[in-house]
Amino acid sequence: MEERTRNLFKELLSSGSGKVGIAFIIALIIISLGVIIIYPPDFGLKYWSNPVLWADNPRAAPPAWTNLFSSYNQAETVIFETNIPTERIPGVSTTKVLYTFNLNHKADEPPSFISMTVGNIKYNNRPPVLIVNIERPDGNKIELYRLIVPGPLPNEVTPFARFSETPFRIQLSGNHEVVSAVSNFLKQEFDVSISNQDLLLSGVDIAVFGTPQDDGKFDVLMGVYKIQVDAFLYNEDDSIGSVKFVAGGSVHGFMGTDTLGRDLSIGLLFGFPVALFIGLVASSITTVIGTSLGIISGYIGGKTDTSIQRAADIFTNIPLLPILIFLSFIVGPNLFIIILILIIFSWPGLTILIRSMVLQIRSGQLVESSITLGASRLRIMLRHIFPQTAPFVFAQMIFFTPSAILAEAALSFLGLGDPSLPTWGQILEYGFRNGGIYVGYWWWILPPGILIVITAMTFVLIALGMEPIINPRLKRGH
Amino acid sequence: MKETRNRMIRLEDVKMYFQSRKGLFKTVEIKAIDGVSVEIDKGKTLALVGESGSGKTTLGRLTLRLLKPTAGHVFFEDLNITDLEEVHLKSFRRRAQAIFQDPYSSIDPFMNVHQIVEEPLIIHRIGKKKERNEMVHKALEDVRLTPTQEFSNKYPHMLSGGQRQRVGIARALILKPEYIVTDEPVSMIDASSRAEILHLMKNLQDKYRITVLYITHDIATAKYFADRIAVMYNGRIVEIGPPEKVVKEPIHPYTIKLLAAVPEPDPSNRFKERGVVEGEPPNPADIQWGCRFESRCQLQKEDNCKSKQPTLVQIKPEHYVACFLKDKDKS
Amino acid sequence: MKLLEVKNLKLYYQSTRGTVKAVDGISLDLAKSEALGIVGESGSGKTSLSLALMRVLPSNIDTNEGKVILDGKDITQLSEEEFRKEIRWNTISMVFQGAMNSLNPVLKVGHQIAEPMLLEKTVNKKEAYKKSEDLLEMVGLPKEIFNRYAHELSGGMKQRVMIASALILNPKLVILDEPTSALDVSIQAQIMNLLKRFKKELDISMIFITHDIALSSDLCDKLAVLYAGEIIEKGTAEQMFGKPKHPYTQLLLASIPGLKQDASPKFIPGAPPDLTSPPTGCRFHARCPYRFDPCDKKPPPAFKIEKDHLSRCWLNEGDKK
Repeated sequence: MEERTRNLFKELLSSGSGKVGIAFIIALIIISLGVIIIYPPDFGLKYWSNPVLWADNPRAAPPAWTNLFSSYNQAETVIFETNIPTERIPGVSTTKVLYTFNLNHKADEPPSFISMTVGNIKYNNRPPVLIVNIERPDGNKIELYRLIVPGPLPNEVTPFARFSETPFRIQLSGNHEVVSAVSNFLKQEFDVSISNQDLLLSGVDIAVFGTPQDDGKFDVLMGVYKIQVDAFLYNEDDSIGSVKFVAGGSVHGFMGTDTLGRDLSIGLLFGFPVALFIGLVASSITTVIGTSLGIISGYIGGKTDTSIQRAADIFTNIPLLPILIFLSFIVGPNLFIIILILIIFSWPGLTILIRSMVLQIRSGQLVESSITLGASRLRIMLRHIFPQTAPFVFAQMIFFTPSAILAEAALSFLGLGDPSLPTWGQILEYGFRNGGIYVGYWWWILPPGILIVITAMTFVLIALGMEPIINPRLKRGH
Repeated sequence: MKETRNRMIRLEDVKMYFQSRKGLFKTVEIKAIDGVSVEIDKGKTLALVGESGSGKTTLGRLTLRLLKPTAGHVFFEDLNITDLEEVHLKSFRRRAQAIFQDPYSSIDPFMNVHQIVEEPLIIHRIGKKKERNEMVHKALEDVRLTPTQEFSNKYPHMLSGGQRQRVGIARALILKPEYIVTDEPVSMIDASSRAEILHLMKNLQDKYRITVLYITHDIATAKYFADRIAVMYNGRIVEIGPPEKVVKEPIHPYTIKLLAAVPEPDPSNRFKERGVVEGEPPNPADIQWGCRFESRCQLQKEDNCKSKQPTLVQIKPEHYVACFLKDKDKS
Repeated sequence: MKLLEVKNLKLYYQSTRGTVKAVDGISLDLAKSEALGIVGESGSGKTSLSLALMRVLPSNIDTNEGKVILDGKDITQLSEEEFRKEIRWNTISMVFQGAMNSLNPVLKVGHQIAEPMLLEKTVNKKEAYKKSEDLLEMVGLPKEIFNRYAHELSGGMKQRVMIASALILNPKLVILDEPTSALDVSIQAQIMNLLKRFKKELDISMIFITHDIALSSDLCDKLAVLYAGEIIEKGTAEQMFGKPKHPYTQLLLASIPGLKQDASPKFIPGAPPDLTSPPTGCRFHARCPYRFDPCDKKPPPAFKIEKDHLSRCWLNEGDKK
């Protein structure tokens, strides 16, 4: 047996398609293993379906590296996050804790938004106060926002904890306090009048990060912006956990974002092990069921054969899609249900093929000699018939894996998938649903499709590389 | 009256009819065996000689109960195995084995020699690992596949046809069966190696006192290795007797023609045509009355030939023939 | 003049294990209306020889040397196109081993026989079909068989069809590779009778390839025994069956279980050598019961025993009878 396996690999590696296939599948496995180790198990529900976590990402932003290709320098998302204050100034009754962030803005456009997130604030007496300032490269300073931490509730005991589970995020760009502050700044510094309404609509960031021109437009002001978050604590034991300042870009990350701001690279990476899981689980279970039933059907014959074949006929003739729609309506979309359905509707094909192979083998002398020796039916089926079908079965399994992956992608694409899990099909579906094609969100639509194709192709290449073993007449002459 | 204790196999008026589908609605009955009664004594070799369509392979299968006869009885020693279910046949299978024609397809290409020869022991739960290894070793020595260590690990595709056939023989013998059916054991082996395999089989048969049913189309090898030869034609035995008698003094017209067709190495052969049986072999699906050989028989026929089936009648001591024209010369 | 002269034909293949020297320097000749028997076991190279003569060569050829002279013309010099037009099937045709299985199941048998003639484009359909029917009769089949399909015929009938098919373009030489090996002995005898008749009536030369040396005596005027890619003995049928000189030939004859003799058939121990690395010296020496000193060192040349009788054995050195 070992020699056969060695021969298998030798044959596989000798062909071009086999080499490419093996290289790809090793890459797929490594990436998938990495994802499994790094990502938390409830990734789908906790992270992907949780809008709060990617609130700070720009919406529908192309990948950051697209910046390299255009002369127009787009703003990249910059995130400042720290638990440690830049400076701590103790005082008599008030401790001042300073967080300073230096943002070097080099883009030809202002950030798409600015936000601040604070978390894990503890206080004992008077709630702390935070003030957000920004100092522009031209020396102007704007006090943007003042946050008073919510006070203690009637029955609460010290220490009072605020924002410990979910940090508190303020979208500064959409906050009316900020808008007023900016409006005033414009009037004072540049003698420009823009109503709060208009400022809100066009985006406060243009003004914060730009200089107004005569034509009413703003020129981007490049340079170093100093963002200062001053926190005033009124008790020695008060503390501020994390402070985060985000200047949103219009490009983000390795693969861009979708309309909810989700980082697509994270979603797409998650798709690797999911795709492999779906493919391999669906195809291996289908193969086991299909092969066993095929061998039993072909060898035992009679009523058993007839009943298995009729069952296969029934399943082949039931239309898959209406059943799926029906089921997802009742049970709700669920990845395991999808895999189960794929298995139930795929085993008949294999059974019918294996059965005809077995019928041929059964009439050969090998089976006759085994019966003469006194072998039981089970022994003959397992020990003598199955190994003869094994190369074919194995190849079928490999061929079926991409089918399963594609089927799941198609189902997700039709909206029957499990929306809590970011499979490639799901990402594709969401992209289409949000008009990705028409608006041109290429970074959202193309990658999942390409990844599906590459994964499917990997398995096909391996199956092609293995063909000479299954069909010795195709053996390559060396 | 023969001692029944000496008898290994007995077939009593056995018939084997197959149903075959012809077209969408018609079924045709194929009379593969149409009334055969024969016995094989313990330790003896009976050769069953016939061409394709004679039913010889089917008869061999019947004696091993790989088929259930349509009519008649099959006895193994005193046991009537005609209607036994497969589960009750397991102990019979330990005592009756077969060596098949095609050494390429009758052994599992996915098992190595050791596993192939060991398998019968595992099926019948004989011995523990260590004992089984010794038995395999001995069986391989018996068939001269030495050094046994070297051959044990090889797979069938690494062996020649003759070597594979020896593996088949070792496998058949390891259970020390009392009865072996061997169907064309050397027809797929080179001419110069055939005698070697046949000699080997004969020696092993003598050594272990095995009863053998030797099925072949080659009457010349049958002459060397059988104690009796039975000539079959279209599902019936037409002549049976000791080899020297059947080969040197054949009686049935078919036997005579069959012997005339065997090539002998004589350079003058090329100048004369052989007197052979003309026409095509019979179609077992054709409905037949009368003697099976009648349509190809060139002798002067009598009325019975077309209407009744001849039965085996003793013509000389130990020599029986089924022919209306010949059963008159009793001596 | 000889119809066919083969001089030092060599055919080597490339395989994963090395170069297979299937045909290693074979010379033979054949006259008109003569039948030559090539007797060899599996692995002797006999099928390769027939393929080499027909130039039906596989893709992994390593070497193809030697001269084949047909009717005085060196056909090895012809291009593939010329060979196909002038030689293949119309001068030399072949009945392949297991040819019955190469009949097209969806074409009528008569049409298949006529096909090479129709491809020639020199005759119309009617003539070709008439010739096909005539040939069917000649091989002993009723004319109605023309309209039958392959699956309706028995093995013997199919083989007769193949023989008819080989004769359609009136070849001068027919190569038959194990034409009866899958047939019952009675049918085999019928076919041999047929071939004997053809040799006389049609003036055809035949090369009859078989592993059964007794069968070759039924047809062949000359015999050549092939072992491991070489001809180790050749001569007339009388010489070969009467006084074989090479130990292999003698053992081969002794291994036939004869009906008339009472002696037990002999066997040759061992197996044929691997053609990728033939043994040094005489290729048969490892299995030869008579081997002596020079046998494993130098390959013996072909010694002349008598006119037309050659044997490649050191025992025959100095033999002149």
